[in-house]
Amino acid sequence: MTVSLLTGSEAAAYGAKLAKIEVLAYYPITPAFPAMEKISKFIEDGEMNTRFVRVECDHSALAAALGASLAGSRTFTVTNSQGLLYMTEVVYHTAGMRQPVVMAVANRALSAPHSRFPEQGDAISQDASGWIQLFCENNQEVLDTTLQAFKVAETCRLPAMVNYEGYIQSHTQEEVDVPDQAKVDVFLPFKRVSALDINNPQGLNTVTSPEFYMDYKYRQNEAMEQALGLINDVAGEFGRAFGRDWSGVIEGYKMEDAEHAVVAMGSSVSDARIVVDALRAEGKKVGLVKVRSFRPFPTQALRAMLKNVGLVTVLDKNIIFGAGGALGNEVKSTLYGVSSVPVKNYIIGLGGRDVGPEEIRQVVGLAEERIKQEIGYEWFGL
Amino acid sequence: MTLNIKDLPQQDLFGPGNAACRGCGAAIAGRQAMKALGSRTIITIPASCMATLSGNNQRTAWSVPFYHTLFEIAPAVSAGIRASLDAQGIKDVNVVSWAGDAGTADIGFQSLSGAAERDDSIIHVCYDNEMYMNTGGQTGSQTPMYAMTSNQKQGKRTGKKDMLAIMVAHGAGYVASASISHPLDLIEKFKKAAAHDGFSYIHILAPCYRGWEIPTDQSVATARRAVECGLWELFEVVEGKKVRTHEPSFLPVADYLLPQGRFKKLSTEQIQEVQDSVNSHYGRGEAKQ
Repeated sequence: MTVSLLTGSEAAAYGAKLAKIEVLAYYPITPAFPAMEKISKFIEDGEMNTRFVRVECDHSALAAALGASLAGSRTFTVTNSQGLLYMTEVVYHTAGMRQPVVMAVANRALSAPHSRFPEQGDAISQDASGWIQLFCENNQEVLDTTLQAFKVAETCRLPAMVNYEGYIQSHTQEEVDVPDQAKVDVFLPFKRVSALDINNPQGLNTVTSPEFYMDYKYRQNEAMEQALGLINDVAGEFGRAFGRDWSGVIEGYKMEDAEHAVVAMGSSVSDARIVVDALRAEGKKVGLVKVRSFRPFPTQALRAMLKNVGLVTVLDKNIIFGAGGALGNEVKSTLYGVSSVPVKNYIIGLGGRDVGPEEIRQVVGLAEERIKQEIGYEWFGL
Repeated sequence: MTLNIKDLPQQDLFGPGNAACRGCGAAIAGRQAMKALGSRTIITIPASCMATLSGNNQRTAWSVPFYHTLFEIAPAVSAGIRASLDAQGIKDVNVVSWAGDAGTADIGFQSLSGAAERDDSIIHVCYDNEMYMNTGGQTGSQTPMYAMTSNQKQGKRTGKKDMLAIMVAHGAGYVASASISHPLDLIEKFKKAAAHDGFSYIHILAPCYRGWEIPTDQSVATARRAVECGLWELFEVVEGKKVRTHEPSFLPVADYLLPQGRFKKLSTEQIQEVQDSVNSHYGRGEAKQ
């Protein structure tokens, strides 16, 4: 165990190193590129026995990672924003091929207008892609979640994204405990599965007729549902092995007697913890629900967590135009028919607009003021 | 050492059960190539007739691992497969991306160019039927000048993009043209590509009876006329050095063009223009400047 000052990018790179990936494929994009540079350096220094496919675009990056995965390797890639959109076709395809590729995503706003700053709209654009989507609140969680993502992905044969925000996490140093390799090897053994096996020829992704297609999709969805339990189990196992419990698909913070729940994912969670502590000190019964797994979405766990609250405020660093925030919509859908609690959805921090504890505190206050107003979603900080 | 057709393996590693049309040039090319590549081969095929005819549901026409990839990515996928095999210490496997003219020269060009520049140890094959036949025969960059297609009934107004020259310009270690009408030449080239440690490119003329509007039993004969009239030159470029592998008999190009429905509207002047281009290329006759 070594405590180091690491950026989120470096934490993701250490995750890939400790996972002993065999193949890295990557095309540079800001702000994800330092993760790839760090892994390339590990390879050049002989600290990793990994093949780097220096592709000519993001679309080919995931394609090469997919090819390596089909041939039986543990593979990794990193991207964000336009890179993720460009590779979208391969994102969906990789999920359909049931390959456990792990991809770090340094969340960044989408063009137009051009922005290189943080927001979660890029990941949200892939919400129907069939990838497990995990969101991290700090750099320790980026490293730990990368390791957990491989384990979950390889168990249910689905690809997984590890999301952390550009700059706020990708370029900001925090203290990160880098686990011992020997302990990681025990936690994350590698069992080779080769769909393209030279000794066992098979045809992959052949033309599929209506008699088969829907059943494949049923199984793919079944695996996603299975992942909910797996994410919890793997987080528990990780906690026992490394002493850090990231609490699975969701985490409740001071939710036991909470009357007002703030729901968030990503770096806003850390800020919201500070706000909850401050409001608690003033005697206000506010709690926090961190959504760690956006896909699969933890519907049952969230229902249980929000059972007794009188108000829910959802923070979204994304906008689905004409429909609200992605997390807000999921929370409303989760509660519909089982609860009449008002859900206030706030669009915050798009394209890097600063949202810290002070702003989140204002949002919490606004939501309480407007508890009786019927508002679908609101923009904060314009 | 000259190949003899009697010495080729009897076994067909591609073919039985495939869903190709009669006389399909792509399927003939696949069967011939596998005689050279052998069973230690992994094949990736992007969206194309070849991918579609290669299997459906739980059936495959390949006796080797076959993966039907997305349209643009066969070379990138193959690079990833090669990286994985290297990581596993598996060295005796050919990794082949087998694309049509669209998956090679047009929508697939970016990933092909990337793999060639990196000198990934894969063989990229373009089976060229000179139009987008899997979607019914639209114009692409490999469609020759004046050919009629389903979306250019008056004929194409620009020439065929020279993919072989482009791949030579990448510095690829082995580049070759081939034709289904010359199987031994084709097989020999695949053997060389398989033996080459680095990126190889083979571009096969593979007529399609539907797009070219010829009888189904004329695919091979038509390809042969393309070679013999000099429009489809058979050659290889080894480490930058070009060698012609077959000397054409210089049949008039009209004998190749006119039996094809796609060229039926060609004027005498247009035919002469094509003939001049051949004469000029081979430095013979009185080509107009």
